Amino acid sequence: MPAFLLAVALVACTGNEKTNETSFKVPVDYYKLDNGLRVVLSEDHTSPTVVVAVYYNIGFRIEPKDRTGFAHLFEHMMFQGSENLPKGEFDKLTQRNGGINNGSTRFDFTNYFEVMPAHMLEPILWAEADRMKGLFINQDALTNQQGVVKNEVKVNVLNQPYGGFPWLDMPQYANENWFNAHNFYGDLADLDSAKLEDVDSFFKTYYSPNNAVVSVVGDFSSEDAKKFIQQYFGAIPKVELPVKPDISEPVQDKEKRFTKEDLLANKPAIAVAYKMPDRNTSEYFAMGLIDQLMVQGGDSKLYQKLVQEKGYTGGVNGGINYLGNMYNYNGPMIWMADLIYDANVSPDSILNEVDKAVAELNNVTQEDLDMALVKIRSSLYDDIGGFFGVGRADLLSCFALFDDDPSRINTLEEEFKKVTPDVIKKTVKEYLRSTNRTILIVDPKAVNP
Amino acid sequence: MKTLKYILSLAILSIVYSTAFAQKQTPPEGGTPRDFQLPEKKLNKLPNGLSSTLVQYGAIPKVNINIIIKTGNIHEGPKEVWLGDFTGNLMREGTTTMGFKTISRKVASMGGSVNVTTGLNQMTISGSVLSEFAPDLIKILADVVINPAFPAKEVDRLKNDLKRNLTVQMSSPQNQATDKFRSLIYKDHPYGRVYPTEEMLNSYTLEMSKGFYEKNFGAKRTVVYAVGKFNEEAVNKAIEEAFGKWKEGPEVNYPVANPVTTNEVAMIDRPNAPQTTVLMGLPTLDPSKPDYLSLQVTNSLLGGSFGSRITSNIREDKGYTYSPFSTINTGVKVAIWYEQADVTTEHTGASLNEISKEIKRLQTEAPSKEELQGIQNYEAGIFVLQNSTPGGIINQLNFLDLHGLSDSYLTDRVKNIYAVTPEKIQQMAKDYFKYEDMTLVLVGDKKQLTKQIKAHQDARKVK
Repeated sequence: MPAFLLAVALVACTGNEKTNETSFKVPVDYYKLDNGLRVVLSEDHTSPTVVVAVYYNIGFRIEPKDRTGFAHLFEHMMFQGSENLPKGEFDKLTQRNGGINNGSTRFDFTNYFEVMPAHMLEPILWAEADRMKGLFINQDALTNQQGVVKNEVKVNVLNQPYGGFPWLDMPQYANENWFNAHNFYGDLADLDSAKLEDVDSFFKTYYSPNNAVVSVVGDFSSEDAKKFIQQYFGAIPKVELPVKPDISEPVQDKEKRFTKEDLLANKPAIAVAYKMPDRNTSEYFAMGLIDQLMVQGGDSKLYQKLVQEKGYTGGVNGGINYLGNMYNYNGPMIWMADLIYDANVSPDSILNEVDKAVAELNNVTQEDLDMALVKIRSSLYDDIGGFFGVGRADLLSCFALFDDDPSRINTLEEEFKKVTPDVIKKTVKEYLRSTNRTILIVDPKAVNP
Repeated sequence: MKTLKYILSLAILSIVYSTAFAQKQTPPEGGTPRDFQLPEKKLNKLPNGLSSTLVQYGAIPKVNINIIIKTGNIHEGPKEVWLGDFTGNLMREGTTTMGFKTISRKVASMGGSVNVTTGLNQMTISGSVLSEFAPDLIKILADVVINPAFPAKEVDRLKNDLKRNLTVQMSSPQNQATDKFRSLIYKDHPYGRVYPTEEMLNSYTLEMSKGFYEKNFGAKRTVVYAVGKFNEEAVNKAIEEAFGKWKEGPEVNYPVANPVTTNEVAMIDRPNAPQTTVLMGLPTLDPSKPDYLSLQVTNSLLGGSFGSRITSNIREDKGYTYSPFSTINTGVKVAIWYEQADVTTEHTGASLNEISKEIKRLQTEAPSKEELQGIQNYEAGIFVLQNSTPGGIINQLNFLDLHGLSDSYLTDRVKNIYAVTPEKIQQMAKDYFKYEDMTLVLVGDKKQLTKQIKAHQDARKVK
């Protein structure tokens, strides 16, 4: 019962701007420390748990050119201990106090987060500050994690049918600029050649308070959190950040088509990817609605055509940013759809259905857009409420890092509402043209059992 | 290399010094743990035997509706594997009054979609929509459950989808391992039949799926869950109106499996595979047994959590693997425990050796109080998280219902977790984790494996 009462109280004090029954406003408290560290606080007293998330503004796009996979390998090194907390102690501090921790490496950030019982806020902020200050970098830990990461690549890519398809493969085929087009997981040889000085230099270059955001979401008092964050992060010195390299992609003017042999797969698969408009433009928001209309759910155009009408496949995957969502990246991106089909179907008959679906977007009505908007709102609520608050911390952190404005979390819906059928038409013409797409076909070469 | 290390540690020292933390620091203490109470549930039962469970939870204006029917693959005959899946997929195609497209559009305009899943013991028809649409979603889901159209024109397409799906699933080494492992332990019980043959799928007809539906669906086997934010009165009314007149149908009836303990070793060849998929384990206590919770805590300490002994050993110490885990996989009145890991091919024997060492170490020596308390804290914390999302709450309540457990399984859980002693853990390890009794499945490069299997044979001899 207490949980329910608290939930009512929260809505009463935050949801007073609109009368719409489904409105929900996320409380956002945003500020910066003197050393440049961005801080976002968002209380939610539904459950006695708290999320601490630290996001560094360095993703796998920007890693040393002869060290593919290094940003991700480095993420593993952040769990290998500091001078104060030897290897294994960070995991113990979180898990053996009733919480979970994890980290991940994405296009434009690397994140570390903990979901803890609420009373553990202070020690966890201390521990995140501790590893922002410095790591205990040593060869044993590096060798160990090279082994772990190589096994990660093997289990997810090299020993798996459709391993890496299309999430790891497509950016390499669709993009031209090395920063967007290299193997983010890493060639095994590059992973092997990583050295301690690479780890040290990467840490010193990118892991500083002025290149990071700390988000706290959940059952805590903002007053306490502010005190702890100042106390533990306040004295960490800022560093001079390198100039961001040019990660832009040239405009594509010709359809690209590739075939990849897969020795472990026994059914063909196809992925179609279109280059996205720049983030936060009206065309970008239009693409969010187009994604809903085209490929999200049983009502979507591609599902209706490829699954229901033609029976080419049992399901179609699709979306903006396969390694996250349409909000948590900051650079060139693709919108993609993919499916597995039977050898007696030609890829061109699949593409023909894609083309028909795209053409239909020119006749989209306001009613269609209203439905897409409801779907977006609903999925946004899943992000905001999901994964014990980690989903909310993710949006807040990304909007703080990329836009210096985490309160955008509460205005997204307004941006989608501005999209008219005309904006959809314009977006289709400019971005869903066949000359702006890349097609990747998996040629299955497995010896059937 | 030594020089390099030296320079690096100096560099770190200088950072530490410059930020005025000259001495080694320890983390500050946490505050006082806060109380956690399970959210209140409201139960109801209709005259035809259908149950409902409502839980108001959270601040997000969404609601999860799950209709769970106590049937699934467990009610398939030996030549009917995935007939339940085929039936569920046909049900999703529409009702006597609404086709797939109409249903999809209606539910999309509520912010959700209709999902039908067929599990071993239960079939679930569910959706998650904006709060105000809770009663409307219930009506549509009820229509899917009660009035499926079973359209003949979709039969061939859906069978073809299942065949494609079968081929794709069987090409994954993890699925090959699971298939073999379950067939060795569950033998002729439906739990031992994970995948059909293509011939079986070819043989399925509309009549067979209608027959499966008639035999297994009805109010007595059904529970409706609504969890999230919603208008309780309207939801109760919708459930009564939509389900009140449904046939009672059959009683709940699960054929109980008789899992066998066999220390068989099975190898599936995957030439030149860079990794071996290792799956090893044995039948164990099911959730209705008093020692089940002690078993869970033992599992968590041995291999079931990131900080567990096996994971610390073969991942964080040796680097043989990325994602090893152990788990208790429950059925109705039965359960199996297993450890699964994808290990580098050349370290397969060494990995088995380390797993056996960790099991034997726990059998020989009780864990320290400190180590156990860490695991107890972890399990208590995970329990709070398991009850902190609408989907998680449904899982917990459904687990109670499926296994016939009383509320005290949840309400006393934290207290019971802390009552487990180090000696109890050691005893559990001795009684339920006998390495020499474990079934072992290896999917990998056979010519590399035959060289390494001696490690396993030797480990088995040491009791």
